Amino acid sequence: MSPYFYYLATLVVYFFIFAISTWGLNLQFGTAGILNFTYITFFAIGGYFTGVSMMARPDALSNMRYILGLSLPFPIALLIGATAAGVLGLLVGLVALRRLRSDYLAIVTIAVGAIVYDFVNVNTAVFNGADGIAGIPYPFNDSLNLDPNTYTFFYVALAGLFTLVLGILAFRIYNSPLGRTLRAIREDADVASAFGKDSYRFRMIAMVVGCVYAGIAGGLLVGFISAFSPGGWTAGETFLLYAALLVGGRGNNWGALLGAFLVPVLFAEATRYLPEISGRAELIPALRNMIVGGLLIAVLWFRPEGILAERKARLTGVYTPKRKAALEVD
Amino acid sequence: MSVLALSFGFGLITASVLALAAVGLSLQFGVTNYINFAYGEFLTIGAYMAWTLSHVLHLNIYVSMVLAVPIMGVFALLLNRFLLRPFTKKGVPLLFLLVVTFGLSLFLSNLTLAIWGTDFKSFDLPAEVPYTLGPFLFTTSQLAIIGIAVAAMAAVHILLTRTEIGKAMRAMSDSVDLAQISGIDTDRITSFTWLLSGLLAGLAGIVLAINITSFGPSFGGEFLFVIFAAVILGGVGSPYGAMLGALVIGLATEMSAMLINSAYKNDVAFALLILTLLLRPQGIIRMAGKA
Repeated sequence: MSPYFYYLATLVVYFFIFAISTWGLNLQFGTAGILNFTYITFFAIGGYFTGVSMMARPDALSNMRYILGLSLPFPIALLIGATAAGVLGLLVGLVALRRLRSDYLAIVTIAVGAIVYDFVNVNTAVFNGADGIAGIPYPFNDSLNLDPNTYTFFYVALAGLFTLVLGILAFRIYNSPLGRTLRAIREDADVASAFGKDSYRFRMIAMVVGCVYAGIAGGLLVGFISAFSPGGWTAGETFLLYAALLVGGRGNNWGALLGAFLVPVLFAEATRYLPEISGRAELIPALRNMIVGGLLIAVLWFRPEGILAERKARLTGVYTPKRKAALEVD
Repeated sequence: MSVLALSFGFGLITASVLALAAVGLSLQFGVTNYINFAYGEFLTIGAYMAWTLSHVLHLNIYVSMVLAVPIMGVFALLLNRFLLRPFTKKGVPLLFLLVVTFGLSLFLSNLTLAIWGTDFKSFDLPAEVPYTLGPFLFTTSQLAIIGIAVAAMAAVHILLTRTEIGKAMRAMSDSVDLAQISGIDTDRITSFTWLLSGLLAGLAGIVLAINITSFGPSFGGEFLFVIFAAVILGGVGSPYGAMLGALVIGLATEMSAMLINSAYKNDVAFALLILTLLLRPQGIIRMAGKA
C-alpha cells in the first residue's frame, strides 16, 4: 500500500482524538459556558497517567523517571488517565465554580495550567521534566503483534470505537434534561436557579465530564504516539481547540466535529510541512499560532455562532403566536 | 545582614513590580468590567520596545525606557479603540469578550516571538552599586524600581481622588449606567483607562525585565497569574486593593524562599490565590458587583 495511505490513516486517528476533545470542550464552553483556558492540561494529565500506568516500573539503570509504572493493560490504564483528568477537573471546579462570574474560573484554570507545567518541569527526579517519557507500550500490541503499519489501521478502529461511543454520549447529553439545564444556566444562571436548578452542581458535572473527555483523548494520543513530552501541551494547543469549536459552531456537536476536522487536522497539517526558515525555527509555528489567535477573534466578530450554528430551542405548545394573540386579547 | 532582611528586601522589590502591573490591570477591569487576558503580553512588549529603541535605534537606554512607556499606553489605547471597543459596542457577551482577549494574548505572544526570536535580551545598564539602608542591601536599580513604584502609586492616588477624570473612573467602576446618566463621557473615560493601563503595563514590564536581568518572549505571560493573584487577593477592580495584594504576594513569594525551594515561589502565589477564592472571594477590599 502506498505510504500516503498510512499517512491518511494517521490523520484519521488525530481527527478522532481531536473530535473527542472538541466535544469535551463543547460540553464545557459551548453548552455550560465554562471558560476553561487550560483544557489541554487535562488532556495531558489523561495522557500521562494512561502512559505511566501501562509502562513497567522505571528501570533503575535508565535516566527516565516517572511515577506508577503499573504494567496495566490499556483499558484500565485509560480508565486511570480519564479519572485523573476528572479528579483535577473536580478540584478546579471546587475552587472556581462557586463564583458565578466566568472570569474567576478562567483565571484559576490559567493558574492551574501554569502550576502543573512548572511542577512537572521543576521535579525532574519524579516526572523527568521537559524530557518527558518515551517507550510507552502500544495498546493491545503485546497480544496482537502487528507490524507498525498494520497497527496504524488497528488504531483507526480502536480510536473510531471510542469516538463513536463518546460522540453518541455527547449528543445524548446535549439533548437530555442535563444538557437543557446547562444551556439554561449558560443563558441566565439566576433564572435557572429560580427554577430550582443548582447551577454549581450542574456546571460541576459539565466540568468533570468535559475533563474526562480530554483525559480519554490524551490517553488515546499517548497510546498512539507512544511518547509524552510536556512541551507539546502548551496554551497554543488549548487555543487550537477553542478555534476548532468556534469555527465549527459552539453548542453544536456536529459543529464541534466539523471544527475538529477543519482547524487542528486540515489547517495544522497543511501548515506543518511549510519549509523551515533557516536560523528561525520558531517563525513558522509562531505565525501559525498568530493565525489561530487571529482566527479566534475574526470568527467571534464575523460569525460568532460558527459554521454550524446551535439550533435555537423552539417553544412548542406553550407560547405559539396564536396563543400569544389570544393572551393579548384577554 | 540577616537572611530575613535580605528576603524582605527582595519581597519589597517584587511587590513594587507587582504593584505597577496589578494596579494597571485592576483599573481597567474596574472600569470596563472584563479581564484582559493579554495583559501579560503588554508587559513583554513594553520591555522589548525599550530594548529595540536602545539596541536597534541606538538611543540612550534611559531615554528608550522613558519612550517605551507612552508607546505602550498608545498601544493599549489603539487596541481598545479598534478591537475591544467594537466588540463591546456590539454587545458581545462577557464570555466571548474574554475569549477575544485570550486570542489576543496568543496573537501578541507569537508576534513577539516572530519579531524578536527566542533568545534572551537584556538592557545595557551601568554596573550596579550596592547601598546599605539599615538592615537592607539594595542595588541602584532595585532602589529605582521601588522609587518608581511608590511614585506611580502616589500619582494614581492623586489622579483618582483629586482629578475630574479620576473621579469619573471611580464612578464608572461603581456603575457604568449611573456614571452615564450623570453626564460622564464613558467612551472617553474608557479610552483614558486603557491608556493608563498600557502605561502601567509598559512600566511594569520594563522594571520586571530590569529585576530579572534577562528576558525572553514569554516572561510577561508567565507573570500574569501572579498579577491575578495580587489583584484577586486585594479585591478585583480596586486599585488600592491591588497595591495591598501586590505587597502581600510580593513579600510572601520571596520570603517563602527561606523555608522552601525558591523554584516553588510561584506555587506560593498560587496557594494564596486559591485560599482567597475559597475563604474571601471578594478580596481584602470589596467592590460591589465585581465578584
